[in-house]
Amino acid sequence: MSSLNASLATALSGLIAEQGAIAVTTNNVANVNTPGYSRQQAILVTSDPVVVDPLTFGTGVTLQSVESIRDPILESQIQQQTQAQGQFSTLTAALQQTQVNFTTSTNDIGTEISNFFASINLLSANPSSLPTRQGVLTAAGNLATSFNSTAGNLTQQQSSLDLSVVQTVSQINTLSQQVAELNGQVSRLQNVGENAGSFIDQRTTAIDQLSALVDVSVIPSENTLTLTTANGAPLVSGQQSFQLQTQSTLTGLHDVYSQGKDITSQITSGQLGGTLEARDQQIPAFQTQLDTLAAGLANAVNTVQDGGFDLNGNPGTNLFTPPPANGVGAAASLSVAITDPALIAASSDGSAGSNGNAEKMYALSSQAIISGQTPTDYYSGIVFNVGNATANALAEQTASTQVLQQLNDQRAAVSGVSLDEEAANLVQYQDAYQASAQVMTAIDNMMNAVVQMATLTG
Amino acid sequence: MRVDPNPYSDLLAAVSQTQQQINTDEQQIASGQSVNVPSDNPAAAAELVRYADQSSQTDQFQRSIGSVQGEMQNADTTLNSVITALQQAVSLGVEGANGTVNSADRAALATQVEDIQSQLISLGNLAYQGNYVFGGTATQTVPYVLDPTSPSGVTYQGNTGVNTVTLGSNFSLKTNMPGSQLFSASGTDMFKSIQDLINGLTSGVGISAAVTEVGAASSSIDTQRVFYGNGLNQLNAQQTYLSSETTQLSQQQDIAGGANLAVVITNLTNSEVALQATLQTIGQTAHNNLFDYLK
Repeated sequence: MSSLNASLATALSGLIAEQGAIAVTTNNVANVNTPGYSRQQAILVTSDPVVVDPLTFGTGVTLQSVESIRDPILESQIQQQTQAQGQFSTLTAALQQTQVNFTTSTNDIGTEISNFFASINLLSANPSSLPTRQGVLTAAGNLATSFNSTAGNLTQQQSSLDLSVVQTVSQINTLSQQVAELNGQVSRLQNVGENAGSFIDQRTTAIDQLSALVDVSVIPSENTLTLTTANGAPLVSGQQSFQLQTQSTLTGLHDVYSQGKDITSQITSGQLGGTLEARDQQIPAFQTQLDTLAAGLANAVNTVQDGGFDLNGNPGTNLFTPPPANGVGAAASLSVAITDPALIAASSDGSAGSNGNAEKMYALSSQAIISGQTPTDYYSGIVFNVGNATANALAEQTASTQVLQQLNDQRAAVSGVSLDEEAANLVQYQDAYQASAQVMTAIDNMMNAVVQMATLTG
Repeated sequence: MRVDPNPYSDLLAAVSQTQQQINTDEQQIASGQSVNVPSDNPAAAAELVRYADQSSQTDQFQRSIGSVQGEMQNADTTLNSVITALQQAVSLGVEGANGTVNSADRAALATQVEDIQSQLISLGNLAYQGNYVFGGTATQTVPYVLDPTSPSGVTYQGNTGVNTVTLGSNFSLKTNMPGSQLFSASGTDMFKSIQDLINGLTSGVGISAAVTEVGAASSSIDTQRVFYGNGLNQLNAQQTYLSSETTQLSQQQDIAGGANLAVVITNLTNSEVALQATLQTIGQTAHNNLFDYLK
């Protein structure tokens, strides 16, 4: 048979357990707005019973553990989506900046191509007029300037993206180090069977931040975890972090190295992936297209110019400085080679009033001289490509933001602190606490009665 | 099922999305364009580049037509004067061919025809904006100079070049007729006929034949003058065509890239209502939780 003392101990276990549960609730309420905090739950279990033959008596309640409520699969989905979101928002921002150069204005390349050919058309109607010839030189100069400044803007954008590569890598290194340190704290606690919930929360938050920067893959193992890039370059292993390095290349842009190996082209998502995609793929593609257009146009105009005669009856010479043979850098370096308007070769027979060659030059505007397209059609193709790349990146960004929002909602549904729930828990634990206290009072009364009985009989 | 206990992040995301929509709508209203950057509609943006080019070329054709028109009109008017002068020469020749006219009178008539000759030279040397109009494409060289050694009394220093100017995507026009063809074609050589008339009046021989020559030259010029008349008519027609093309292009530009203001303004109003509703939701709800009811 059990004793009053045993009941007292049982009631006490209730008081202690409910107190612990109230502490958990309080902590949840306190962290209601803490980013990355996962709500905790008090796990109450029945204490081991005692057997007083032939009966078995319960011995109360134990606060066995405090558990953080989280869904690891959801968290890994969030990390992946954060990578995509980081990649596309960076790419979108970069391309939105790029496309400004291709927006129709008074001096974009498309307008200047039109103006150039318009000036040639007027020249064809007045082949010997000096003001008209000057007009052609001015239009050619404006066209060259427009190519120069567009190409220059793209190069400048490339170097500012390069700066952001270097900065992002340094942020990645800081976060890897944090994760490695948190790994240490988590395993120290878990090795002695303690709840490492709040450190795990901090580590999850750090990994989320890291995911925004680079394509992290998380490999959990007992009490710790390993982080690598999607291609296997190590970032964190247990308590050790591996720093990424940046190294300047011949082009002046920085490559990313891990353990002495160039991994630049292997980084595909996160902000770093997006920045690299803009810097190494998208912008260079547009630069190449601009070069093709500038070189094609300059060469075609020069060929016609060389086949005609200037106002003095001399054979024509190049209107544009010949672009580099492979076309690379043609847009940035395009310039007008002559300053004397009389040197424009409008004439096809050497007479001052002939417009035959001007007509040939004007005809270039509707000839497929740039990769099978007219100059304006080719340029409109570039505008389409830039617009399309931007629109796609924007759509991907919007989609990944929405998915991420949903996943975060789901995570909050699992792990977020609900004040209603905590209030209900508090009431529940408080009631239980009060009841246990009442039981103690009752046992106390009974004890007193027993003591009095002893006094009377004694 | 447990739901996300914190609705703020969703509500704020909704607010930012609606504000973005409002920005887009306001931009469209301000510019009147639905395509403000290429990503708004890449295909339309590319189309607009081509339309802008076409519209720029169309404007240019109008300007070039204006420039060509002036020269051709001048040429046409000048040919009128040439024909009048030749008719005068014919009258003087007919007068000289009359048997009653004595040699002194013929000499006086010859002098008058010489005046006509120099007038014709000056008409043949018509310059428009610094360019000789009837010298072929040798526009910087005086086409006709007096040359007593030549049977026609003049030397043609121009060439036979003819310029063709593109004045539309499918329209080009020959803009000049060289003096060699207009005035100095063999058989209808105006200057030779005048020189023959001067010689006839001076010598008293072959005046009638010379008068016939002058008449033939005059009617040849009259026939060839149609070149300028036709050209001017074609230019007028092309101008009309180009202005209708300009109108059409601007309609196409509007279809490709213009903002449908009625729709945009309706969208804007809707977005503003949505924004207000969301803000109100944030303001009113979500403040209450169970703690408020526990005393």
